[in-house]
Amino acid sequence: MVDHINAALFSSDQHFDADIVIIGSGAGGGIAAEQLTLAGFNVLLLEEGAWYTRDDFVMQERWAYPNLYQEGAARKTRDQAIGILQGRTVGGSTTVNWTTSIRTPQPTLAYWQSEFGVNFQAQNDLKPFFAKAEQRLNIQPWPVPPNMNNARLQQGCEALGWHYSVINRNVNGCANLGYCGMGCPINAKQSMLVSTIPAAMANGARLISRISVRKLRWQGEQVTAVEAVPVDQYFQPRSDVRITITAKHYIVAAGAIGSPALLLRSEVPDPSGRLGKHTYLHPSVISGALFDEAVNGHSGAPQSVYSDQFVWPADNELAGYKLEVPPLHPVLMATKLIGSGAQHAALMQQFNHLQATIALLRDGFHPQSQGGSVMLDQHQQPVLDYPITDYLWHGIRRALLSMAELQFAAGARQVLPIHHDASLYSSWAEAKAAITQLPMQILRQTIVSAHVMGGCNMSSSAQRGVVDPYGRHNQLGNLSVFDGSVLPTSLGVNPQLTIYALVWRNCEQLIAELSP
Amino acid sequence: MNRRQFLFSGLALGASGSLLLAGWQFSLNPDEDNRDWVLSAILPALLYGALPEDATLAQAALQRSKTAVNDFIGFLPLSQQQQLHQLFNLLANRLSQLALTGHLAALPALNMTQRLSLLNSWRDSYLLILQQAYHSLRELLYAAFYGQPQHWQQLNYTAPEFR
Repeated sequence: MVDHINAALFSSDQHFDADIVIIGSGAGGGIAAEQLTLAGFNVLLLEEGAWYTRDDFVMQERWAYPNLYQEGAARKTRDQAIGILQGRTVGGSTTVNWTTSIRTPQPTLAYWQSEFGVNFQAQNDLKPFFAKAEQRLNIQPWPVPPNMNNARLQQGCEALGWHYSVINRNVNGCANLGYCGMGCPINAKQSMLVSTIPAAMANGARLISRISVRKLRWQGEQVTAVEAVPVDQYFQPRSDVRITITAKHYIVAAGAIGSPALLLRSEVPDPSGRLGKHTYLHPSVISGALFDEAVNGHSGAPQSVYSDQFVWPADNELAGYKLEVPPLHPVLMATKLIGSGAQHAALMQQFNHLQATIALLRDGFHPQSQGGSVMLDQHQQPVLDYPITDYLWHGIRRALLSMAELQFAAGARQVLPIHHDASLYSSWAEAKAAITQLPMQILRQTIVSAHVMGGCNMSSSAQRGVVDPYGRHNQLGNLSVFDGSVLPTSLGVNPQLTIYALVWRNCEQLIAELSP
Repeated sequence: MNRRQFLFSGLALGASGSLLLAGWQFSLNPDEDNRDWVLSAILPALLYGALPEDATLAQAALQRSKTAVNDFIGFLPLSQQQQLHQLFNLLANRLSQLALTGHLAALPALNMTQRLSLLNSWRDSYLLILQQAYHSLRELLYAAFYGQPQHWQQLNYTAPEFR
């Protein structure tokens, strides 16, 4: 008997009690649910999204975006300059991500140690936890040749002598369909939805879906209860039913926008002043390229090759960026392509011949890159303000140049930087001259993000962080934050594996502390 | 920026100080007629070149897109929904439309080129709110149209039927 409760069905006020309540079922909440259940705790897992599974995943964006993503996949920063893709379903973003699984880069860990006193050396080494997560989720180098979208990235790197690498993916029995972003229809992707959450539930964990946690009640140095409401058919919080939950320990794992927002609504102590601050996005820019041969970017593993040629520049005044590719589906492409009317229609007709490369900027490693701030709107819902500094604009222009150079080297006929003043360029020289002149302004330059990090950062010093290096809240003793919001900077790699390993380690510490 | 654009932007700016802000108080609520009226005017321009040439088929495609817009809006944050409702209400009102577009003639009376150039003038406006209106409408409407499998023929794309 699977113990799942759909909060949308509640018609009267409810109360639940557990040893440990986990708010959010993504990469952090999923790992924690399994580890804590195995350790013998009575775990209650809460998720704002719905419990959709394999049979619901119809591989269509029109169903997937409203039903599986935050704000219908149309989440934006406050000035609407950056679009944010973030999951909101059981399994969180792991249910809809593109399966890229890369360990935290050593320079990132070294920066955390020097700036935040967080030590991951010797007995604190994360390597055993990376290995555990890789084994648990079948993370391995992708053995199948890349699809043409990724192959063009590889070919460009080969032609220019740039670094590239095959991507490790968390899949088992993957059929190379290419629809990871809409939920895996064959349970091949080893998301939390098909791995740790069912395992936790088989061992007695309970799951409540379609529940929005509005507030943590606290007194002195302890959280005393969770206040929550069901959501409606559009996943908006309802006000007709109230749900309270009490537990011995509370884990917030609602993602790097949701977790700070919950703690801000709860007005928890924030002596460091860092709660909801220093939110990082890997701000990403796109370059399209038309090839004579078909690319069919909708088909095949979405990400299988990356390049770190530019991610760690020797000059620290330059923003580093990682090169990857996104899958290409009709809605994703139509909304990101520039122009309107006949110009847009003509580009759409080249759907199968378009290759897209993305550059993800590594933010948070420079005084001019201190990230964004989560705030609450008049409906008490989160809004992320993320100013874009000259340091980032400079990196964005360099990234557009690198991508155009790469795409021409891979044999592109024309290149189209996704910027509203750009057009199709027919040679690297032409593109270079044009990109050098593009105005670096919000809403002219299209910017997207699929990685939200920070807002409850860890630090060895309570003056410099919201939580300690094990995710324990610095002021409220029975509260932990177990998700990407504890990261003190962005990572320079896709975040899921870092969150799995970090939360796994933090769970072992928590189990040791809570066990009699 | 030419003089004409500047004038329109100036009008909108003046309006945002009086008419729009006054309007903000009472026009945040959804009005299906206004929405339908505005979408009927803007969609054929935005989708110029993408809609089927056959008038009946084009009408069906527009209707599907409008339905998709209506079905989707509820998933947006309430604050964004209110902004969209307000935009639809302002554009459906002749006076506030003048302020936003520089045209006194009702939207449907403009030809496709005029409708597209007014959208583009929002994109190029120095007013952040008009730029945001351009991008949010554009994204909403393109997603609504290209989300429908019936509209993928021109892309030479068929989603796999896995089961």
